[in-house]
Amino acid sequence: MATSFFSVFPALVNPVVALLGMGLGIGALLAFVSKTFRLESDPVVEKINDLLPQTQCGQCGYPGCKPYAEAIALGDAINKCPPGGEKTILNLADLLNVQVLPLDETYGHEEIKKVAFIREEECIGCAKCIPACPVDAILGAPKFMHTVIESECTGCDLCIEPCPVDCIDLIEVSQVSLSSSQAMNDEEYLACINCGLCIDECPVDILPHELYWACRGGELEQAEALNLMHCIECGKCDKICPSHIPLVDFYQSSKLELKSQQRQKVDAENAKQRFENHQIRMAKLDAKEEHRRNKRAELAKQNRQQTSSESIKAALERVKARKK
Amino acid sequence: MTDIFLILVGAILVNNFVLTQFLGLCPFMGVSGKVETAIGMSAATLFVLTLASACSYLVFHYLLVPLGLEYLRTISFIVVIAAVVSITEMVMHKTSPLLYRVLGIFLPLITSNCAVLGVALLNINQAHSFAQSIFYGFGAASGFSLVLILFSAMREKLSQCDIPEPFQGAAIAMITAGLMSLAFMGFSGMV
Repeated sequence: MATSFFSVFPALVNPVVALLGMGLGIGALLAFVSKTFRLESDPVVEKINDLLPQTQCGQCGYPGCKPYAEAIALGDAINKCPPGGEKTILNLADLLNVQVLPLDETYGHEEIKKVAFIREEECIGCAKCIPACPVDAILGAPKFMHTVIESECTGCDLCIEPCPVDCIDLIEVSQVSLSSSQAMNDEEYLACINCGLCIDECPVDILPHELYWACRGGELEQAEALNLMHCIECGKCDKICPSHIPLVDFYQSSKLELKSQQRQKVDAENAKQRFENHQIRMAKLDAKEEHRRNKRAELAKQNRQQTSSESIKAALERVKARKK
Repeated sequence: MTDIFLILVGAILVNNFVLTQFLGLCPFMGVSGKVETAIGMSAATLFVLTLASACSYLVFHYLLVPLGLEYLRTISFIVVIAAVVSITEMVMHKTSPLLYRVLGIFLPLITSNCAVLGVALLNINQAHSFAQSIFYGFGAASGFSLVLILFSAMREKLSQCDIPEPFQGAAIAMITAGLMSLAFMGFSGMV
């Protein structure tokens, strides 16, 4: 069939053979490359995990931030983290180049950061909250009063439920308000015309107008690169500005935000470390418990076998005795 | 030496593929939101274009011409380009997974970046030698990279500016691209 087809169209032999050969060659090459460059683990997971707030609260439905990061890397939605809120979603969307989504309210609402607090006179020392805490922030031993290390608590509320006497409260942490000042909002000032008067005025030689654009656009990284932290807030740029822009107000609010971001980053890193340690500790405890249970089960089995064989022997002897 | 220099200048500035010949506009608008992404895309295109123009030269002169199959050049170039892009994709997935994720669909879309096919076909049309083909591809990709990175830097600055509402987003990007194109028209006639 094939020979007859090509004998009818001899002009088709060359192109078909050439293209087939090329396709086969390229296919073999691709197979080889895909084998040599196979991926073992996805390093994107680490980057995603760094952006999550590390509260380890499990509100997303995964047992901690790392598992959720793994799920996101495999294509899960980025809007399941209530403690991270809008900021986390924005950062994730930026990293992964995906659409920004509003927070999925079925997983919880974005709230002010809270920490757990144990009403110590009511605590009965049952130690049930200690293994529940994902970052090991609860101190205490059985039959002794417990307490929460405030600086380590992520406010995940996982300790509330195990407490049999309901002596744990979540209390709000007072935070610096990041709201912008009145002057920044009421648009009493004109647009920046890049006149550069502020540059000559600045005593610490930063570029006030560039910094203004960065602060206004919320580009904190860029603002930091433009030496935002060097600003001594002397107000000279404010006074000289022909557009009456409240420059220092912009710098102040950006400074506050930058500082709180840095603090959050440090806290998150700390919580991540503690969560990993907690998991290692729990795995060790589980293994120990498992080992003990196995040992006990084996002992019980031995005993049962012994006793059963002994009782059979005894019964046989009794029968023998009766026959005699 | 002079001809290679002329080819480079011609491909980068005078006959810039994006701004003068209007090829490869899709990644030019699509991946120019951030400078880092633009740099990644430029590197990928640079690699693919240079390699693809070399490969397509070899395929044309050592496979198609001896067999008398010059009319198959478009389809075979597309196959070659697709293979080069796939290899780039796999290598990038291994070496720089974040960039791979950020480039997303634009990485496989280099296959259909008309600048890549355009370079391969123009190489044949202008009867370039092997070295000339490679430098033409390299020059075209450098021109693309230059324009893409400049454009993304401008768009980053623009994102912080007070833009009148009707011009926000794609509109101001188009206007910027048009102005850049006008500026590049100034090079015309140089080579």
